[in-house]
Amino acid sequence: MASGRKDFLSQQAPENYVAGLGRGATGFTTRSDLGPAREGPTPEQIQAALTKRAQLLGAAAPTAYGNQSREKGGKEDKEEEDDERFQDPDNETGLFAYGQFDQEDDEADRIYQEVDEKMDRRRKIRRLVKLPSTPLQVSSCSSGKAPVWIEYRLESLATYREAREQQEREDYERKNPKIQQQFADLKRSLAAVSEEDWANLPEVGDLTGKNRRAKQNLRQRFYAVPDSVIAGARDSAQFDTTIAEDGAPAGDEESADGTMTNFADIGAARDKVLKVRLDQAALGSGAESAISGSATSIDPKGYLTSLTQSEMKAGEVEVGDIKRVRVLLESVTKTNPKHAPGWIALARLEELAGRIVAARNIIAKGCELCPKSEDGWLENIRLNEGHNAKVIAANAIKNNDHSTRLWTEAMKLETDLRAKKNVLRQAILHIPQSVQIWKEAVNLEDDPADARLLLAKAVEMIPLSVELWLALARLETPENAQKVLNAARKAVPTSHEIWIAAARLQEQMGTFEKVNVMKRAIQSLARENAMLKREEWISEAERCEDEGAILTCGAIIRETLGWGLDEDDDRKDIWMDDAKSSIARGKYETARAIYAYALRVFINRRSIWLAAADLERNHGDKEALWQVLGKAVEACPQSEELWLQLAKEKWQSGEIDDARRVLGRAFNQNPNNEDIWLAAVKLEADAKQTDQARELLATARREAGTDRVWIKSVAFERQLGNTDDALDLVNQGLQLYPKADKLWMMKGQIYEAQKKFPQAREAYGTGTRACSKSVALWLLASRLEELAGAVVRARSVLDRARLAVPKSAELWTESVRVERRANNIAQAKVLMAKALQEVPASGLLWSESIWHLEPRAQRKARSLEAIKKVDNDPILFITVARIFWGERRLEKAMTWFEKAIVSDSDYGDGWAWYYKFLLQHGTEVRFNSSPKSDSEKSITDTNIFTFQEKRADVISKCISTEPKHGEVWQSIAKDPTNAHKTSDEILKLVANTIN
Amino acid sequence: MGSIVLPHLQTAWHVDQAILSEEERLVVIRFGRDHDPDCIRQDELLYKIAERVKNFAVIYLCDVDQVPDFNTMYELYDRMTIMFFYRNKHMMCDFGTGNNNKLNWVLEDKQELIDIIETIYKGAKKGRGLVVSPKDYSTRYRY
Repeated sequence: MASGRKDFLSQQAPENYVAGLGRGATGFTTRSDLGPAREGPTPEQIQAALTKRAQLLGAAAPTAYGNQSREKGGKEDKEEEDDERFQDPDNETGLFAYGQFDQEDDEADRIYQEVDEKMDRRRKIRRLVKLPSTPLQVSSCSSGKAPVWIEYRLESLATYREAREQQEREDYERKNPKIQQQFADLKRSLAAVSEEDWANLPEVGDLTGKNRRAKQNLRQRFYAVPDSVIAGARDSAQFDTTIAEDGAPAGDEESADGTMTNFADIGAARDKVLKVRLDQAALGSGAESAISGSATSIDPKGYLTSLTQSEMKAGEVEVGDIKRVRVLLESVTKTNPKHAPGWIALARLEELAGRIVAARNIIAKGCELCPKSEDGWLENIRLNEGHNAKVIAANAIKNNDHSTRLWTEAMKLETDLRAKKNVLRQAILHIPQSVQIWKEAVNLEDDPADARLLLAKAVEMIPLSVELWLALARLETPENAQKVLNAARKAVPTSHEIWIAAARLQEQMGTFEKVNVMKRAIQSLARENAMLKREEWISEAERCEDEGAILTCGAIIRETLGWGLDEDDDRKDIWMDDAKSSIARGKYETARAIYAYALRVFINRRSIWLAAADLERNHGDKEALWQVLGKAVEACPQSEELWLQLAKEKWQSGEIDDARRVLGRAFNQNPNNEDIWLAAVKLEADAKQTDQARELLATARREAGTDRVWIKSVAFERQLGNTDDALDLVNQGLQLYPKADKLWMMKGQIYEAQKKFPQAREAYGTGTRACSKSVALWLLASRLEELAGAVVRARSVLDRARLAVPKSAELWTESVRVERRANNIAQAKVLMAKALQEVPASGLLWSESIWHLEPRAQRKARSLEAIKKVDNDPILFITVARIFWGERRLEKAMTWFEKAIVSDSDYGDGWAWYYKFLLQHGTEVRFNSSPKSDSEKSITDTNIFTFQEKRADVISKCISTEPKHGEVWQSIAKDPTNAHKTSDEILKLVANTIN
Repeated sequence: MGSIVLPHLQTAWHVDQAILSEEERLVVIRFGRDHDPDCIRQDELLYKIAERVKNFAVIYLCDVDQVPDFNTMYELYDRMTIMFFYRNKHMMCDFGTGNNNKLNWVLEDKQELIDIIETIYKGAKKGRGLVVSPKDYSTRYRY
C-alpha cells in the first residue's frame, strides 16, 4: 500500500516550497547554545511564500485552507454552520490555521455537528418531561421548529421513564422530609427575632468533653520571660554581678554605634563577671556560711591548688591563658589580700611567664600582707637567691619562729657548715620539740661522739620520738645501746620498732638465745594494746630478713604467727598461704620460720611437711632438706610419699646405703606398701644388685601381691633378659590378675621378641578378650598382624577394637596408618574422614591427616583448620612447627615447638622434635627468647642464647620434667634394652628415631 | 554502501512528502552528510535493518547540505541525526541523554536500533508522542 504513495520521490518539488509548510511542522529548542532555535514557518512567511507561488502560477491568492477546500466542503446547512463556526468566540479559531483544510476535516466537522444536535434534542425532551406544569421554554431551543415536534413526542411517550422516576423521587421526599423542610415553617418566624435576642442566645456547652484537654492546654500558655525579669531575679541574689565600666559608661558607646557589636567588650564583660564571682568565692573563705549552698560557690583552696598544679605542669601555656589567669589571680589577691595561696599562685604565674622580678615583688608583697604564712615565705625564699634569700629567711623566721620548715630552709640556704650548725642551734632553741631539726643537727655532726651527745639531748627533749631513740641506740656501744633501748622502751612503751631493735641488738651481741626478747616484746606490747597485726609482723620479719637479722626474723615469726588466730584448723591454711606469699616475695627465711612454726603446731600434717621439704629442695641446701624430711618421716611415718622423697634424695646424692636404710625403716612402718617395695626394687636394680632386687620382688609378690608388683617383676626379668623367667612370671601373674592388660601385653611382647608369632597372637587375642577396653593391647595385636604381613587381619583386629573402644583417636589413627602403610591411600583418606567425624578434636588424628594424607600445598590450610577445632594439643603444635620447619621459617617453628612443650611438658616426642630441630638449626638462629617451660627456672629476661646454651637448656629442662608419654618416646623408653637410660639419653635416642 | 541503497530525500518538499505520505509506518529519517564517517557507519546499519523493519518503518536519508531548510528547525547540528515521524507527528523518544527529539549518536547495534524503532512504533500506534527507549543511553554516549 505504501509503495503507491512513494511516487513523490520521482516527482519534482514545487517551486518556492517552504520547508515544513505542507505538514505544518513545528521545530523545537533543546539547546539554545547550538543556534537560533525557531518554530516552523511563521504565518507571514507562509503567506509571503504562497502569494509568490500563486503569482507564478497565475492564480488568486489562497486562503489558509488552501485553494479548493471551500468548493469541496459544500453541505445542506452550510451557511448556518459557517456562521456558528466563525462567530463563536469560544471556538479555537486559528488552531489549524497552518494546515490545509481538506474534505476529511470537513466531514469530521459535520459528523460532530450532527452528534451535537442530537444530544441537544434529547436534552430538550428531558426538560419538557421534568417540568410538565411549567410552560415550554422555547427560547432555550436553538431551532424554531422544535415545540411542535416535541408535543408530538410528548404524547407518544406519556409514560416516559424519567417522568416516572421524578414521581417516585417526590414521593420519597414527602415521606422522608429533610430537616430543612421540617423547619421550613419555623424559619419564617426567624425574621421576627431581634438583635438582642440573637445576642442573648446561650453558648453550647462542651457536653462530650472532647475538646476539654485541648482547651486546658490553650489556657496554660508560656511566655518568654523578659530580660528585665531575669535581671531583677539575678540582682535579688546575694552577689552583685552588674558591670560598671571604669572609664566611659557603656551607654555612651552603644548610642554611638548601636548597630555595631563590640565583641571585645563582651569578652571583657564576661571576664569581669567571672572576676566578680571569684572575688565573691574568695571572700567566701572568710565567711563561708554566706555563700555555701549556692551553686556557684567554689572551694577556694582547691581551686587555687588546682590552678597552681595546672601551671606547674604546663610549660607550653599560651600567652592568652597566662593573661587571663593573671587577671583572675590579681582579683583574688585584691579581694583577699590576707590569703597567702593567692599570692603564691600569682607569683608562680609570673615566674612561669618569665617575669621573675615581678614574681619576686608580688611574693614580697604577699609576705608582707600574710606574714604568718609559711608557704608564702618559702615561696619567697625559693624565688630569691643568695643574700636576699637569707634576709628573707631571717624575716620569715622572725615572723614564724616555730616553723620547722622555715628553719630547715634557712639552714639549707647556708653554705658553710658552721653557719648551718649555728642556724640549727638557734632553731633548737626556738623549737626544741622538732624531730626534723634534731635530725638535721645530728646529720650535720661528723663526730659520732658529738652526734651521740646531741641525740642524748634530743631524746631528753623529745622522749616520744622512736626514730631518735633508735638513732641513738645505733650510735652507742652495744652495752650502752641496751641501756638506751631500755630507756626508750620505758619512754615509748608502745613502739614495736624498739623491741625489734633490741632483739637485733641481742642477735648482734650473740646473746640472742639467752633472753627471749620477742616474747617479752609481745607480752608488753599486748599489755599496752599496741600489738601489730599478724600481716604487719610478717612484713617486719621480712624486713629483718632483708637486713640480715635472720634470728630476729625467726623470733618474730615464732612469737607472732599465731597471734590473733583461733585455735582451729583454719590456721594451717592461713600459714600455708603466708609461707607461699613469702616465698613468692623471695623471703625464704621467713617462709622457713613460718613452716617451722606451723609444723610445731600441726606436727602430723603431711602437706606442711611436703611444702617445707619443697622449700628446702628449691631454696635450701641438702642437709636442711634431709633434716626436714627426716623429721617429717618421724612425724608422719605412715606417709610413704615422705619416705620415698627422703629415699630419693639420699639416693640421688649417691648415698645408696642411707637410702636403703631409709627404705628399711619405711618397710618397718608400712609393711605392705607396694610403692615402697617397688622403690626398694628400683633402688636395688639401679645399684645393679639384681639378686637382692629379685628377692625383694619375690617378697613383695608374697607380701603385697598387687598387679603392679607382678608387672614390675616381669619387667625386671625382661630387662635382665631372662625371658623364660619373665614368661613364667607373666603366666603366674595372669592367673592371679587376668584383667591386667599390661601383663597380657608383656606376654605378647615376650613372644614377639622370640619371634613366636602364633603364641603372641594368642596372647593378644586372649588379652583383648579379657581386657577389651585396653587400647594399647589392641594396637599391639594389630601391629603384630601387620608385622606378620597379614594386613587383612590387622584391619579386622582394629575394626573389633573400634567396636570395643569407640571414639578412640589412637585406634582410628592406627587404622589409617595400616592403610597407609599398605599403600592404600584412598582407603586411608576415607577412614580419616570417618575418624575426624567421630573424633573431631584429636590432635593425633589431625597430625596424621595433615602430615601424611594432605598434599604439601594444603598442609598449612589444614593445620589452621585443625588448630581451630583442637585448640590446645601438643601433637598438633609439633606438626605445625614441623610444617614451618619444612618451610625454613625457623623462628616460627621454634615458637610452635615451645608452645607444644609448654602445653604438655610430659609429651616426650615434643621434646625430642625440639631437640632435633635445635641440633640442625641451632647455629642459624640467634634465639632471643627463652622457652617458657612450666618449671620455675624459666628464664624470663630476654638473654640472647647461643644454640649451644639453648640445646643444653632443653636437655636440662627435659631431665627435670621427665617426660613419660609420646608415641615414639614410650616405645623407646619402654624398650627393655633402654631400661637404665636417663631422660637425656632417651631424648637423644628418640630424636634420632623420629623423622 | 548503505547510503547508496537507501532512498534519499532531495528537497524539503520531498522530506515533507515522505513524512506525510506514510500512513501506517514510522518514518525514520537520517539527517547528515553521506561522506561523513559517522553517517557512513550509521547508514550501513540502517541499510541492514531496513528490510527487517519494513513492515512498520521506512527509512530515508537526507543530506543536510543539500536540504538546509530543517537545520534550524530541527537543530541539525550533529554529524548524524536520526528522527522519527508517524502520521505527520514528530515522535520523541527518551534515550536518557537529555535530548528526546532525536537520536544523534551512532548506534551500532542492529538489535538495539530495531528495538528502538519498534518501541517508537508501538508508542505511536497507541497515540503517544513520547516513548521511553528500551535501553538507557545516558552513560554510554556522552556529548
